[in-house]
Amino acid sequence: MKAKISAMMDGELEQGELVEPLAALRQDGEALEAWRTYHLISDALRGRTLLATDCGRAVAARLAGEPTLIGPLPGTVAAAVRTRWFVPSAVAASAAAVALVGWMAFAPQQRPGPASMEVAVVQLPQRDVLTPPKPPEVVRHPLTAASADYLLAHQAFSPRNSLQGVAAYIRSVSDESMQGSP
Amino acid sequence: MSRALGALVLCAAAGFAHAQTSPDAVAWLRRIYQATEQLSYTGTFVYQQGARTETSRIAHLAGASGGTEKLEVLEGAAREILRTRNEIRCYLPDRHLVKVEPRGDPRAFPAVLPEQVTALSEYYAITMGHTGRIAGFDCQAVELKPLDEMRYGYRLWADTRSGMLLKAQTFKLDGAIVEQFTFAQLDIGTVARDRLRPPRMAKKWRVEQAAVAPADLASMGWRLEPAVPGFHKVVEIRRMLRDSEPVDQVVFSDGLAAVSVFIEPKSKRTEASRDGLSGMGAVNVVTRHIADHLVTVVGETPVVSVQRIADGVSYHKPD
Repeated sequence: MKAKISAMMDGELEQGELVEPLAALRQDGEALEAWRTYHLISDALRGRTLLATDCGRAVAARLAGEPTLIGPLPGTVAAAVRTRWFVPSAVAASAAAVALVGWMAFAPQQRPGPASMEVAVVQLPQRDVLTPPKPPEVVRHPLTAASADYLLAHQAFSPRNSLQGVAAYIRSVSDESMQGSP
Repeated sequence: MSRALGALVLCAAAGFAHAQTSPDAVAWLRRIYQATEQLSYTGTFVYQQGARTETSRIAHLAGASGGTEKLEVLEGAAREILRTRNEIRCYLPDRHLVKVEPRGDPRAFPAVLPEQVTALSEYYAITMGHTGRIAGFDCQAVELKPLDEMRYGYRLWADTRSGMLLKAQTFKLDGAIVEQFTFAQLDIGTVARDRLRPPRMAKKWRVEQAAVAPADLASMGWRLEPAVPGFHKVVEIRRMLRDSEPVDQVVFSDGLAAVSVFIEPKSKRTEASRDGLSGMGAVNVVTRHIADHLVTVVGETPVVSVQRIADGVSYHKPD
């Protein structure tokens, strides 16, 4: 996956090949971390004074704390018209907010240089700005007592047997797998 | 970003350089496989996963078709496993029960034939590891590093003289150790037959026989599409599990690790099983309910590949 993300950043992927790495960036914290690391290394190698730091989270947190500026339009505007107007306005407002917060976040740390600031804002991962990423934490429960049967049935077909012989079976009769929560 | 820079970044960020599989290491690995089968030995080994350790005794008497082998758990209930030419008998004293499983077809995984190693090296980098002393034996390690996050890596230490496996570690792509088998004591040589006797008490215990027959899940409307590179179907059977209704089992393997998919109709017993992930050491179990059936996926692989194989199961009512 990391290879694909790198290739995507290099612009080497076809349209259809983008689906998988983009999905990974959305779902996989490790992929996103890699994406950030590659940008950081790229910036460092090019000698940019402003390194692409993990500002996405900070921006998202600030945005979450701000009051929502977009409300229903007053008066007699037809619902259809309102909806049409509403969408671009939301996008514009978000973009403005990003630019503003981005500027506020960087202003104290950098010398005046509009070009580099623009780059930093553009590089924000879209997903980060809109919703802060949740660390992908899968909760693994202890084995239940019922799993011991499956484990034993599975073990008979494991290639580990030809490497380790019957020792590999310890998993299926281990105290933990046998006494697991009912 | 240029292509060269991309490659540099990839190596730096991935945390390891892709080592090439070495012929020496492959030869050593093959030797370890042969030794496991051909040597007779008795010993005590420690199984470690997470913060837990468990000690067991093992005896292997070499012979035709893998010989006879016995494992005795030395802690808690005195559980024993006896593996003979045709079957595996699992003695559970706390339940007064003997479970009998057919021995998996040894031809499914012949001890790392050359063409199999070629297939293995597509997904693992096989290299020589460190040397060290384990249970009094001078050992040489061989490493199988995974080339993606779909499988675990293995580090195997074997006696430099006999090739006998003394220690086996399973580790994640990032190097974290998942589980470990280590011999604390080992005698290679003749083994008395009485070391391989079944427990005497077991004569009166109930016997649960897992009758196994070939199955065809596709004709029943099941589709299994494991989106995990390198894993191929090795077995598709209908079998008994406990005293319940028959359960269908399909096994996928990349040659080193295997994942089983169990499919069974919903019953009183399965109603209690909740969807989700459980596990121990290198074993992960994902449970799903599909079309009034319970689907249980058991694998010695990382969560991601067990989950993918579970996600690849679907039911389409046959016409």
